[in-house]
Amino acid sequence: MSEEKEPVLGEPGEHPLSVLLFSWMRAPWFKALFTWSLIVIGVALIGLEAWLAFRPIKAVTYAPGFQGVFGFFAFAFAVLSGWPLGKMLRRPEGYYDRRSGEAGRDD
Amino acid sequence: MTIERLADLLANTNPGFFILAAALLLPFARDVASRAILMVGGPLVALVALISAEGLSINLQTVQFLGLELVLYRPDSLSFVFGLAFIIASALVGAYSLHRRDALQDSTAMLYAGAGVTAVFVGDLISLFIAWELTAIASVFQILAPRGPESARAALRYLVFQIASGMLVLAGICMYVAATGDTQFALIAPSQAGLPVGVMDINAPGAVLILAGFGIKAAFPMVHNWLQDSYPRASETGAVVLSVFTTKLAVYALARYFAGLEWLIWIGAVMTVFPVFFAVIENDLRKVLAYSLNNQVGFMVCAVGIGTQLAVNGAAAHAFAHIMYKALLFMSMGAVLYRTGTTKASELGGLHRTMPWTTLFCLVGAASISALPLFSGFVAKSMVMSASHADPALFVVWIALLFASAGVLEHSGIKIPYFCFFSHDSGKRPQEAPFNMLLAMGAAAALCILVGLSPGWLYQFLPYQEAAMEYLATDLWTAGHVLQQFQLLVFATLAFMLLQWRRWYPAEKPGLIMDVEWFWRRGWPVMARAVGKRARKAGRVVSGAIGAVGGSAQLAARQVFGPEGWVAANVPLSATAVLSLAILGVVLAISLFA
Repeated sequence: MSEEKEPVLGEPGEHPLSVLLFSWMRAPWFKALFTWSLIVIGVALIGLEAWLAFRPIKAVTYAPGFQGVFGFFAFAFAVLSGWPLGKMLRRPEGYYDRRSGEAGRDD
Repeated sequence: MTIERLADLLANTNPGFFILAAALLLPFARDVASRAILMVGGPLVALVALISAEGLSINLQTVQFLGLELVLYRPDSLSFVFGLAFIIASALVGAYSLHRRDALQDSTAMLYAGAGVTAVFVGDLISLFIAWELTAIASVFQILAPRGPESARAALRYLVFQIASGMLVLAGICMYVAATGDTQFALIAPSQAGLPVGVMDINAPGAVLILAGFGIKAAFPMVHNWLQDSYPRASETGAVVLSVFTTKLAVYALARYFAGLEWLIWIGAVMTVFPVFFAVIENDLRKVLAYSLNNQVGFMVCAVGIGTQLAVNGAAAHAFAHIMYKALLFMSMGAVLYRTGTTKASELGGLHRTMPWTTLFCLVGAASISALPLFSGFVAKSMVMSASHADPALFVVWIALLFASAGVLEHSGIKIPYFCFFSHDSGKRPQEAPFNMLLAMGAAAALCILVGLSPGWLYQFLPYQEAAMEYLATDLWTAGHVLQQFQLLVFATLAFMLLQWRRWYPAEKPGLIMDVEWFWRRGWPVMARAVGKRARKAGRVVSGAIGAVGGSAQLAARQVFGPEGWVAANVPLSATAVLSLAILGVVLAISLFA
């Protein structure tokens, strides 16, 4: 019996489709490359909008890149609001089970 | 039976009846093949029936019942698109459920699906109510299916909301019918220029009650929590079927009766925004999807409220697309639950290694719900966004919807696939999902892509076909429209990457997130005890007798309804469901004979 070889890509036991589609995402350079790609694509999209779909700027919403900037800050706001909200609203898993007074439970 | 008679039967029978018939036969199916024939074949027969319908906007099947003419089958261009989505989803759910045999759950799921399809194709309020209540009763069994104490209690709470909704609708119908004598859609909601969508006057007797009943089913703000409470407690298959019918049936009913009602614009806008914040901090990914469902239904409710042809088309298209991609997302989480036993983000991560097909299908669902161009969400949601943008008076609403669009990307587009399949490695190496699950997910994913690539296919079924085709030809694929949507998604994803890099993205933590359910699960009992205590004291001071009566009544009420009372503790849920059904039946009978 031959000794099991370490696969070139992926991990032992990893599904071949995962190796093909996703294993490269685990490379150390992936996050930086992806982030920079997003920046480049985003700027290009704003440029393309200004070029291909320019409208007279009657309000800020008509400015090229408005939706991009809005999307960035809306996303960041939603995520960052998770910090105070989590502190305010998160309770232990059995919160309702212990003292809820609901059906079948003792106070 | 001759071919002609069979064709006639198919053309003139409510398609939901074929699924209901399959549901009744299902408990007798012993092997996988016969179950597959019933669970997938039933919806396929319904699809053939729908396609061969003898005509639109005419009564194809009627019966006389207690002196009323019930219209059992009246397809029109509004019901067609909802019915088509329901039937396709029924077949997908049937295929998805084939890996395990649970006769009760399977047959009630089919019953639920059949009742949902029946409800959209009936042509009068009484029939709608009956089919609607059948969905409520059948759906409870999906939550009960895990057969644990938590799911049992959640099912009971769910049932309370569903029955309350049914009671409101029933009371509204009785008042409306008593005042106007009309029960048929064609009479109540006269078409505008021959189109199917009409308006029930909100000032008409009973209309507000009917709206409130629909609102509970649509999970309007403050009565939304039954959804997040119950859906994540259902089985892996139950959550999928639940995600398809109840809320979309409510959207259909709202579009049928209340299109153009301004209240709905604002209710819908609120619905799109608030779930975003809960979804960010929620750890259970199926609960995240439940909040996401709330948010997506908000888009539809808002569109119904706007009420223009473009907006109603948008609501219907969004409902169709949403049924497919939300079912797909629930299916992928169901597969994860089935293989790992959990859907908590804090316990998952790295599953793409051994579940790549599920990951891939989940990513298609995530792209669709995020409205990435070339996926179904984009071609559907665009109409809602355009309809709100077209009216300067709705600027705030448009901004709210835009915010919600970024929020959707956060909770369903990124959070669900990232924390489940990527993120940190949880060390879990589960098997890939069973073949039947993959098949159903693959079919749903294919539909998401098909609709995204070829929106004309969906647009031809929309209530206002001409307006839809005009939108397709002149607006949908304009450079500005597509580029702006790409910008929103690219920059929001960039925000995610930067927040992750700076470690500002809140970590997924185990815990329970309080929502309005706190009021009835903690606040209400505490308040009741406090009020009771004060009432007893006051009673003793003012009058010993009154206090004693009050105390006795409270004691009796506690014995019945309290934590250890017979209603709360030891009554089998099936008995409760049957009792509720019986009460409904009695009230209905009294109302009709009175």
